[in-house]
Amino acid sequence: MFHLSGYEYFLGFLLIASSVPILALTASKLLRPPTGGPERRTTYESGMEPLGGAWIQFNIRYYMFALVFVVFDVETVFLYPWAVAFNQLGLLAFVEALIFIGILVVALVYAWRKGALEWS
Amino acid sequence: MNLAEGVQIVSFGILAVMMLGAALGVVLLNQIVYSAFLLGGVFMSISGLYILLNADFVAAAQILIYVGAVNVLILFAIMLVNKKEEFKPVRNRWIRQGATALVCVGLLALLSTMVLATPWAVDTTTVNASSTIIQIGKHFFSDFLLPFELASVLLLMAMVGAIILARRDFIPERKATTTEVETALTLPERPRELSGS
Repeated sequence: MFHLSGYEYFLGFLLIASSVPILALTASKLLRPPTGGPERRTTYESGMEPLGGAWIQFNIRYYMFALVFVVFDVETVFLYPWAVAFNQLGLLAFVEALIFIGILVVALVYAWRKGALEWS
Repeated sequence: MNLAEGVQIVSFGILAVMMLGAALGVVLLNQIVYSAFLLGGVFMSISGLYILLNADFVAAAQILIYVGAVNVLILFAIMLVNKKEEFKPVRNRWIRQGATALVCVGLLALLSTMVLATPWAVDTTTVNASSTIIQIGKHFFSDFLLPFELASVLLLMAMVGAIILARRDFIPERKATTTEVETALTLPERPRELSGS
């Protein structure tokens, strides 16, 4: 049983958006001169010369920020239905959402106190 | 079969081929970075399947969380690993491969029996798809309230555990004043000059 309506615009948008990179790359392939030499194969053409390899160890701070971001991303997804259905839910749901946010504020305070939000 | 059903079947075919191809690429490619990016492709295909199932909010959450956050986390974890090295060949490799194959075949058998045993007929009469987000919001605060609140506790635990695991650097001034007895649960400390910068 299919009841999928209202996605025609989404499908059209998806098709147009996925054809944009194909068209751009094909057009540049048709327009550019056929040979480029070794200069064209550098990472940033007519930019800075890259030093060393790309396989270096990154700082663990990036990982920390990504972890904190995951937590608050999930929180946003949980809170969005509450915000949309806010008019139909009433006071009790408001208190329950406050409890939810309060527990996550504890997490935020913990991360803040531990210095996970600083780039030091 | 009218046009809409045809479009849906074609979309399902494209999404399924995309997902299977990306998943095979995740497993088979040697470069782990390519595997991570292809995992993002798998997640996006799953999101498309959710849209085909008329679950728009779940599809958006899938893109937002799995592609936007979890996959980025996996990429950062790959970047944290040291630079590419030639790995030594593992002795008794066939034991590991055999154990892995056994576990995978067992999982496949389990999932196959589950697929065959589940009655897939869904009651479509109760679906009032005016807005799925409002439906989800109502369920969050009525019959799924306890999982909703437990999710916040789970997020709190995940955050605390991640911070404890990732920040193992000690603070010298606190270490100098207090002479704490190291319990068995403390993690090995990383020197300050390594963890800084």
